[in-house]
Amino acid sequence: MHEGAIAESIVDILKQIKEENGLNRIVKVRLKIGKMSGVMVDALMFALEALKTEEDVIDGTEFEVVETDVKARCNLCNRVYEYNDVSDVVMLCEQCGMPLDIIEGKEMEIIDVEGE
Amino acid sequence: MKRVVVEKKILERNDESAEKIRQILRDRGVFALNFMASPGAGKTTVIEKTIETLKNDYRISYIDGDLDTDRDASRIKRLGIDVVQINTSGACHLDADMVLRALNQVSLDCDLLIIENVGNLVCPATFDIGAHKNVVILSVPEGDDKVKKYPVMFNVANVVLLNKVDLLKFLDFDVEKVRKELKEINPRADFIEISAKDGYDMDTWFEYLKNLMD
Repeated sequence: MHEGAIAESIVDILKQIKEENGLNRIVKVRLKIGKMSGVMVDALMFALEALKTEEDVIDGTEFEVVETDVKARCNLCNRVYEYNDVSDVVMLCEQCGMPLDIIEGKEMEIIDVEGE
Repeated sequence: MKRVVVEKKILERNDESAEKIRQILRDRGVFALNFMASPGAGKTTVIEKTIETLKNDYRISYIDGDLDTDRDASRIKRLGIDVVQINTSGACHLDADMVLRALNQVSLDCDLLIIENVGNLVCPATFDIGAHKNVVILSVPEGDDKVKKYPVMFNVANVVLLNKVDLLKFLDFDVEKVRKELKEINPRADFIEISAKDGYDMDTWFEYLKNLMD
């Protein structure tokens, strides 16, 4: 379960943000996780929850996940295909038969942080 | 309450380390492969045969990521090449920092660096480790439904080796289905059928690899 490692990376970044912005407490964090990122949101939330007991910086912090669909574009005709389920993804253009490029859905980001 | 806009990649540090790896490999003129597969798909056997065949013409080094043991590393060491073992202490994947540390120990006086990732079809796909190409091995006994089940892994593959094709005659495995589903999730990936054990079509793989390096 690599979500443990992802959760640890999130905590490391939050420590830095807390210090840089002089926050006493991080109240809420919004994360952007693409459906093609390979991260299972439930497993990530579980890992973050487990880390709360050992990492003061996320003690009492609420995490919200914004999941992004997979979007892929044909470079020949510019058509964009959108998939909300990874198992439906087809990386070939129906019109041109060309391989598509993923333009969204692989993200793993911290969007913003609310603190006091 | 204060809102801080972050918009930062969670794996930014990993990506920076992967970039450092790419820089080191570029400076030393080393071509690196990242082998990924489930446990038991035949990664180490494919790597063994590849080294045996190519070692007279190419200088090869090997980094092995394993949860706990050094069994794979010992197998490869017998072939007389430079081997570095990374014990991930339970972690299910290699990350760029682990590989970066291993680069300090392994001989980079080589043409080809083979990195064997931890046996797992999920976690290693998420971590860029700075290799030039991702080689994903799927083996016939695992079943022909794996491409759809592990789309993230097959999407990051540059080449998929279907191993243990000598077992096709015993098992209900549809090669065309795998080809079709791979083409859907990753039309750019190459696909080679092999049997590392009896040598079937390994020459196609060796020639493919030589072409990548030349």
